[in-house]
Parts: sequence; C-alpha cells; structure tokens
Amino acid sequence: MNVFLAILWKDLLVEWRSRDRVVAMLVFSLLVVVVFHFSLPGGATAQTRATAPGLLWIAYVFAALLGLGRSFSAELENEALSGIALVPVDRGWVFLGKGAANLLVLGVVQAVTACVFALVFEVDLTPVAGRLAGVVALGSLGLCSIGTLFAAVAVRTRFREVMLPLLLLPLLVPVLLGSVRATSALLADGTAPFAAIQLLIVTDAVYLILSFLGFEYVLEE
Amino acid sequence: MTGYADGSTALRASGILLALLALAYGGQVILAPNDSMQGVVQKILYVHVPCAFAAYLGFLVTAVCSGFYLATNDERYDRVAAAAAEMGVLFCTLVIVTGPIWAKGTWGHWWAWDPRLTVTLLLWFIYLAYLLLRSFTEGSERTARLAAVYGIAGALAIPLNYFAIDLFGGAAMHPENLQRGSLGQGMGWPFAVGVATAVAAFAHLLLLRVGLEASVSPSGGRLSIRG
Amino acid sequence: MSEPAIAARRLEKRFGHATALTGVDLEVPAGSSLAVLGPNGAGKSTLLRLMAGLGRPSGGSLSICGEPAHDRAARARVGFVGHATFLYAALTARENVLFAARLHRVPHAAARVEERLAQEGLEGVAHLAAGALSRGMAQRLAVARGLVHDPEIVLLDEPFAGLDRRAAQRLAGRLADLRHEGRTAVLATHDVGLAAQVADVAIVLAAGRIAHEVRAPQRDVAALERAYAAAAEASP
Repeated sequence: MNVFLAILWKDLLVEWRSRDRVVAMLVFSLLVVVVFHFSLPGGATAQTRATAPGLLWIAYVFAALLGLGRSFSAELENEALSGIALVPVDRGWVFLGKGAANLLVLGVVQAVTACVFALVFEVDLTPVAGRLAGVVALGSLGLCSIGTLFAAVAVRTRFREVMLPLLLLPLLVPVLLGSVRATSALLADGTAPFAAIQLLIVTDAVYLILSFLGFEYVLEE
Repeated sequence: MTGYADGSTALRASGILLALLALAYGGQVILAPNDSMQGVVQKILYVHVPCAFAAYLGFLVTAVCSGFYLATNDERYDRVAAAAAEMGVLFCTLVIVTGPIWAKGTWGHWWAWDPRLTVTLLLWFIYLAYLLLRSFTEGSERTARLAAVYGIAGALAIPLNYFAIDLFGGAAMHPENLQRGSLGQGMGWPFAVGVATAVAAFAHLLLLRVGLEASVSPSGGRLSIRG
Repeated sequence: MSEPAIAARRLEKRFGHATALTGVDLEVPAGSSLAVLGPNGAGKSTLLRLMAGLGRPSGGSLSICGEPAHDRAARARVGFVGHATFLYAALTARENVLFAARLHRVPHAAARVEERLAQEGLEGVAHLAAGALSRGMAQRLAVARGLVHDPEIVLLDEPFAGLDRRAAQRLAGRLADLRHEGRTAVLATHDVGLAAQVADVAIVLAAGRIAHEVRAPQRDVAALERAYAAAAEASP
C-alpha cells in the first residue's frame, strides 16, 4: 500500500512540477473536438448529436494514448525504471500507483473536454453529469489499466510512440463499445443499460488483474 | 521442442499432409454436393472454417506457451509461442480473405460487421501487434518476456471482444454451422477432413518453424519428434 | 545467519546468443567485502544486477541469505548503487531520497532522510533539483538513496567512475564506514589499488567466468594486478 501511495505521490509531484503532460493532453483533446466540428458539415444537428458519444470517446482514447505514452518518460532518465524495479514488494503495486496517477491526469482532461463537447455539439450534460462521470470513470479504468501495463512494455521497445497504439487499440474495443453504448443511452434517456455496465465491470476486472500480475514480468530485465 | 528430429521425418510428414490435402480436395470439390441455396460458392467454407479453427488454435498455443514461458523462463516455450503466432497469422489472413469471397457470393456485399468476422479481424490485428512487438524489441530475453505478456493479454481480450461485439456490434450473419445437423447431407465428412487437414497443416508448419529456430539457437532443446 | 549473505552456484546469465556469465561459484559471508574486478564486458555489472534482483539467472542459482535473489524478500535486504543514479531530475535531492525511503517502507522516513543526507554532506543542496547537481553530488545522492533503508547488503557498481580525487577519497571513507557497521559489501571496480584496500576477497572476471580469486588482497596487491592484466589481455 505504501508503495502505491509513494508512486502516486511521486508521479503527481513530477507532473505538477512541469505540467507538460496534462497541458499537452488538454490542448490535443480540444483540437480534436474542433476538428470533429469541422469534419461534420451542418453543425450541431440531431444526426451529429447521435454520433457525439462516439466522438467524445475517440477524443478520450487519443488523449489517453498521448498521456500513457509519456507516463514513463521520467523513468527513462538515469535508469529510474530499474530504481523502481528494486522495490521489496510485489511490483504490481508499482503498476497501481502509476495507473492511478494516469487515471487522475486523464480524468482532469476528460472533464474539461466533456464541457467543451457539450458546448460545441449543443448537448446538455447537467441532468446526467453524475452518472456520466461514473461511466467515464469505469471506461477510463479499463483504458488506464492495460494502458499503463503496455506503456511500460512500449517504453522498452524501439518505436514506443507507434508501438503503444498498435498494442492497445485491439484490446480496447470492449472498453470502447461498452463506454460508448452506456454514454449514448445516458444522453438519450438518462438510463445506463445494464449489459454495457456489466461488460465494463468484467473487462475492467480482467484487465486490472492481468496488469497487476503482468507488471512483475515487464519490470524484470 | 526442436521440431522434427531429422529431414527424413519432416519429409514423411509433408507427404502425409499432401495426401490429406488431396483427400480433402477430392472430397470437398468433387464429391460433396452443392448447397441447395448458396450454390458452389458454399464450398469455400471448406477452407474458410478450418482455417478459422487453425487461426484460433494458433493463438491458444501462443497464449499457453507464453504462460509456461513466464512460469519457467524456458526459452523453448517462447520459440513455440513465436512460431505459433507466425503460422496463426497466415491462417488468419486466409480466413479474412476467404470470408469476403463467400460473402460476396451469398449476401451480395464484401463485408459485414457480424461478430465472428469482426472478432477474427481483431484477432488478426492482435497477431500483427504481437509480431511487431517481437521485431521492435531488442534482446531476445526481453522480447520473449514482453511478447509473452501481450500474448496472454490478447488471449483474454478475444472472448471479451466477442461478448462486446455480440452484445452491441453488427448483425449476426454467420450461419450457425457449429450445431449438429445444420450441415446438409453429404457435407459432414468433407468438413471434418477439412478441419483435420487445417490442424495438421498448422502442426506441420509449426514443427518446421520451431525446428528452424532451434537449429539457429545455440542451446537447442532435448525434446523432438522421431519418425 | 548461518547461510552466507550471498551465494552463487554455477550461475549463468545469457542474453540471447551472448553469454554474460557462466559457471560462477562464489560465497560471500555476512559482514565481509568482495571486490569484483575485470575489464569492460567481463560481466561485473550483470553479476551485481542479478544480486540486486533486477533479473533472473538463466541457469544455476543465486541466493541472498538463503532466498533467491530475484524474490521480494531478498530485494528488501539489498541496497544497490548502480552505474546510473536512478534519480528524478525534476524532484529535489530530498524528495528523491524520500521517495526511495517510501518505496522501501522505511519507518520515520522524513527523519531518516535528513540523517542520510547529512551523512553524505548534502544538507546544503537538499532543496535543489537533482538535475542541477554536479556529477560528484549526484553520485553521493545516489549512495544516500541506495542506503536509505539501512540494507544489510550493499552493492556498488563502479561508484568511482568520473569522480575527482576528493570525491573518490570521501567515497572510500564511506566504504570503510560500511565495513565497520558490519554490512556485507560487493564492489565492482576497475581500480585494483582500491579493491585491495577495502576488500576481504577479490575476484577477477574475464568473459563471464571467474578467472582469479585472491583472499586478503591487501597483502599482495601486485599479484592482483597481474591477475587483472592477464584477464584484460585474454578478453576480446
């Protein structure tokens, strides 16, 4: 538990010192929203509003890929990754700390992006804000768990920026499908379909366990 | 594994496989009746479905060997996992190529986002990502370990993908030909031979590939197939 | 402890086709110091990294106080100061050591961190970002970081590389302190004179094997130098 908190504290502190990751993710996210607006002719119509949940999640996935790709950049200097591998506990706790930091940073970006999205696509999010936050958290948990695991994998390969999306996207399909379906339903009639939530919970559980156990091997030399 | 013990065993195995292929060809193309609704185009399924078996079998082998590799640190398991992925992606490509050919002949369009085809497409991407990960990582021990983690992740993702797409994805347009009695009269045997041939071909190619890798590696291995 | 602090039996480490270590047998009793000498590429770093638990042996065994070196329990007993400093440039010196203390679950971490910083003479720069420190200071910080959890076994991989005379003397003094404190120490170095000075046993590695072992090397430094030269000659 201590290791989890130590890594979380360290990551957030390093991020706070430079804030470059969160700013990059925010700017990128907002740019994506603007690009979407221009690529859908006719502005905010009923048709575009129907695709809004999907587009929102695409923006979230792109922002997440950007953030995850940079989450181990501090560890590349001075071989700090080996320094972390020396912990006298299960290395899965290191994963939890890193994953939690990634989730928090992503969460901030997601909140701001959602507001901008609501403005651009003229969707009112206030009645479902709480439940939407819950769905987004559930989906992002899946994103950040295997995302953190494979960010650690990608950082040990030759083309890490390219490697991460290649590895992650096929594995993210269940998360994406569940999240988009739940978000659509929330915006349409305020309910969250049980099947989608169930899929997200199962996927999150599987990916969390896999990442916790797998991290031990990924940090080994 | 070191694959086949020697060249003559491998040759004999190739011979058996060719005989099986001839049998399958004869049975499927010449003897089997044409499907009443779909016509002769249905016969491509004798290739499509067995290849799908082999493609999924391939990833199962990769995932299981990955697990054993992580548990034992024995590089022989990694060799089999890598070879199974290389062979599996071949069969997976065949599935994705033959699928649209059948689809165009029966439904009238090249592609449909039905669950099985979509999951197979995702499997193809997972295979490719696995192979790219292997080629972009330096150091064989690190490659083996990272690839093993991805192999297991991919294997877990496939059933998750299936449930996800089944619940929310496209229309189910695949014929339910895994149930008993759903195949027409006279199609059972050619179908079974087809599956046996594909699995045999997969195993044969796997052994050849592992044998190739083992002959290059200095440590080799003790297990082998003797003819 | 009846078992040796560090024990290797027919230890082997391969990286693909390359063999970094082979047939390594050694025992380091608790409280003693071992110097590992050898030319570049001989396998010194690999040996120390395996002892630190950073990788698994390809063959044979390596244990720390009876437990496999790559297990969590073994990692708790070992302090490793490697080639690289493991420091985060964006964090201050103090924060870097505090982070390491928390990772190793050191009780009363804040107080301990101040002690360690004082021991290395870093109180004046504790508030500076680690990225702003000179090489010598960064090295001292790496030592403070590596020892913050008071490990029984200390591994140092070429800690003298790039240090000036004064910094090197200071570090040699620290090594003597560690011996007095009863810790087991393993030092990988090119410096034969230093090795003879601080070690109870010195081994010379060449191409992954132990080419030479000298007990109480301070008694015959010349012999050790000859052994080292022979190993350097034999290496590709």
